Amino acid sequence: MKSTTRALTQLLLYSALTLLALLFLAPLMIMLIGSLKADARVLVEAGTLSAFLPAEASLQNYADVFRRSDFLRFFLNSVFITGAIVTSGLLVNSLAAYAFARLQWRGRDLLFNLVLALMILPFEAIAVPLFYGVSMLGLRDTYLAQILPFIANAFSIYLFYSFFIGLPKAFEEAARIDGAGTLRIFFTIILPNSKPVFASVAILSFLTWWGSYLWPLMVTIGPSVRPLPVAIAGFFTLPPLLWGDILAFGTMMVAPVLVVFIMFQRWFVRGVAASAIKG
Amino acid sequence: MASIIFDNVSKTYSDGVDVIRQLCLTVEDGELLVLVGPSGCGKSTALRMVAGLEAISAGEIRLDGQVVNGIPAQRRNLAMVFQNYALYPHMSVRRNLEFPLRMRKLPGREIKRRVERIAEMLDLTALLERKPKALSGGQRQRVAMGRAIVRDADAFLMDEPLSNLDAKLRVQIRTEIATLQTRLGVTTLYVTHDQVEAMTLGQRVAVLREGRLQQVAPPGELYRRPANIFVAGFIGSPGMNLLRGTMEEKDGNPVLRLGPNRLILPEQVLTEHPGLQTRPGESLLIGIRPEAIRLADDLAEHSLPARVHAVESLGHETILHLATDLASIASDATDPAASTDPAPPLIAVLPGQHRFRPGDTLQLGIDIDGLRLFDMSGNAVG
Amino acid sequence: MQASDQTPTALMLAIPALLGLALFILLPFLTALALAFTDLRLGSPLPVELVGLEQFRRIFSDADFLRALANNLLFAAVVVPLQTALALALALLLNQRLRGTVVFRTLFFMPVVFPMSLVAVIWTLIYAPGPNGMMNALLTLLSFGYWEAHDFLRDPVLALPAIMLLSIWQGSGFQMVILLAGLQSIPQELYEGAAMDGAGRRQQLFHITLPQLRNPLIFVMLVTTILAFRLFDQVQIMTRGGPDNATTTVMYETVEAVFTRQQVARACAMAVVFFLLVLAITWLQRRLVRQQREVT
Repeated sequence: MKSTTRALTQLLLYSALTLLALLFLAPLMIMLIGSLKADARVLVEAGTLSAFLPAEASLQNYADVFRRSDFLRFFLNSVFITGAIVTSGLLVNSLAAYAFARLQWRGRDLLFNLVLALMILPFEAIAVPLFYGVSMLGLRDTYLAQILPFIANAFSIYLFYSFFIGLPKAFEEAARIDGAGTLRIFFTIILPNSKPVFASVAILSFLTWWGSYLWPLMVTIGPSVRPLPVAIAGFFTLPPLLWGDILAFGTMMVAPVLVVFIMFQRWFVRGVAASAIKG
Repeated sequence: MASIIFDNVSKTYSDGVDVIRQLCLTVEDGELLVLVGPSGCGKSTALRMVAGLEAISAGEIRLDGQVVNGIPAQRRNLAMVFQNYALYPHMSVRRNLEFPLRMRKLPGREIKRRVERIAEMLDLTALLERKPKALSGGQRQRVAMGRAIVRDADAFLMDEPLSNLDAKLRVQIRTEIATLQTRLGVTTLYVTHDQVEAMTLGQRVAVLREGRLQQVAPPGELYRRPANIFVAGFIGSPGMNLLRGTMEEKDGNPVLRLGPNRLILPEQVLTEHPGLQTRPGESLLIGIRPEAIRLADDLAEHSLPARVHAVESLGHETILHLATDLASIASDATDPAASTDPAPPLIAVLPGQHRFRPGDTLQLGIDIDGLRLFDMSGNAVG
Repeated sequence: MQASDQTPTALMLAIPALLGLALFILLPFLTALALAFTDLRLGSPLPVELVGLEQFRRIFSDADFLRALANNLLFAAVVVPLQTALALALALLLNQRLRGTVVFRTLFFMPVVFPMSLVAVIWTLIYAPGPNGMMNALLTLLSFGYWEAHDFLRDPVLALPAIMLLSIWQGSGFQMVILLAGLQSIPQELYEGAAMDGAGRRQQLFHITLPQLRNPLIFVMLVTTILAFRLFDQVQIMTRGGPDNATTTVMYETVEAVFTRQQVARACAMAVVFFLLVLAITWLQRRLVRQQREVT
């Protein structure tokens, strides 16, 4: 009796989960399958179940994307810009956080409170003056304008800080007595024991900047330094409207990230959950 | 090798708390000195000031005659064993042992030679490639020791290095540390809250209470001649009983009045307390070791009636908590002259097993040769 | 405390980040504050003048901006509760001890790794007009044929809800993960204690789970509210604020002011208003969290 109720509950739970999963999965499937169809059929079959059936699949759309746009260039732009922000951000912000968390220096508490205060400033509130400044300096349409402003990040500093402050001090004290200086301690003792927070910050800032749209839309003019999110919006409005090509563009744009995500999904989930600890 | 000297050292935290007050203490070259005291007495702070992990508020610390107040930890050439060992979790045992040598930029061959010699000495050779996570508590402890020994430091600092081990292992490693220290002859400052550890390990023991040094002496001396009632109560397990009594004179000889009894003090007690002659009529605190209390038959002279309050049977000995008419006080009493309510029980340790039950009454005799006498401010009568 | 002064080392470590924050966040923010009180226009030959609160007066009498503000508020009022409820439901489902939850969690979280611009493009296809459009076809099917095909993104009534829906699809996985972490950090003993006290599953949900989840819930609602006010990418790609301002937002108006009308000062005033809104929401969240700490 009891076990039948349980089995029934389980069945109900699984049905609910599966239904929701299908809803979450649908847009991805639409994109993937549409990208394999002839352009004209994408819209026509959209309202029917054949939207989910890749009949007469071909990679023609993918070839068309490379023919009609500079996809590779956009892709490499995105990789370069995001990569530069993430890697230099990891270094710069973790070093600053370490100084705040562990060293004794004048002005530390005041400056740290200032950093915390800056955390609530969303980028949108400063986009206009930043754009104005970049225009005045003639830096529009450069990689520099898309990378430099985003390396230092108050929230990253905060995440590193909260992690470092929770590490036992004894390791650092032991290393100090063993003869290591501050920088050496950071790189040989702290860094190898802080992989979770480095992964969290890397993933969070990757997600932020890989999908960033507003700023590159404002500062890029031509395709030379344009990243993917702006590029797909441009490709989308490029006549004629060929849905197969657009979806192939989208698929190629998200596929590498999806692969990385599925491989490291545990870290992604942990990274995002870590962002909420400030509550 | 070097001596460690605390010269009037004080430590005040930024919130105004004094943790160390004018500490003067010398750890002689090659000596193992144990700094012992209850938790919060400042013993770890004192150690960390020697290490360079805490700033010194006032006074000087000298290593090998050189003032080190301003010298950062990494340039003091001291080795430290931490309570949780602080083994670098991401490094193998070998890398852990190598670390201090690498920091000193020793040539690779020399590093390898030294690490292997130490590993051999501490029986760690088979564990060299393991991570600390894969080691037992005792093995971790040995690695921590190894990391301290490997670099030929001027002195060893040990911060409760045995407190994370189970009782059996603690005894074993305690012996190993003592043997090792004698063999290497390295000046060692050892901090613990465990008086048994202090007594068994220390060539001399320094007792610290609330940042103040109470007494420094070899263990036997500390046991026989505690300088004040705090040391009397802290050293020994259980600690000394403290009873209130009065000095009287009978036929020109000093007599100690304890409850209904008048005790004629033996020669030994009188020579240990030369100031006694000058205090007829004065109240005193009488320290009696629990081991100096025995059972007496009803008719014996100087017997004390007592009622059993609680019995702890350890097999080889029996500890009795006894209620008597005597005015006993606690060794950490802030004012030994005031009576404490309720008065602490009289503790007696009897060899062997006894079948007493709470409520039983019995007669006690006291072995008065080992009495220790304190004035009413708690200091030993000189 | 260390035995030696560490100020030089600390500065060496912290300066790059501090410099970056000062130059690219603090300075632009102060500039925005200052410029909001001028009449600066990009490329204008006229000298810049201080105009006091004139820019603020203008934007608050600008029907487009007021509509944008109303849209943001409406968006927040609908999306925040719906998305939080969905995320909570997902988190509760995944917190059951079922096999295969990792697969479901991965699926629900997946849209988070999609750039919003791509999401906007895919959903434009889903919202395609005519009976062949996917959303239209689905609604026709679900309503047994009563639904008439609409052009969602050009319909003044449906455009904003259409954008809300895809935002929920993209964002709920993020919230879910945070709530799930919150759920998993509730000590099991609380449930065991409640069960001993006779609480059923429903009572456990209302008396243990939800109160224990209060801070993560407040946090995800705060983040979603702020996201609602930052709304831009979807609107810019799908509707360009239309039809008839039905989907315009504060950020969209701000960018429009700079790009189509070169009104830097006016855009800065809008940015200041935007910042004050975010500040108010954050302040509210801190208060709510603190209140609870005082209670416990």
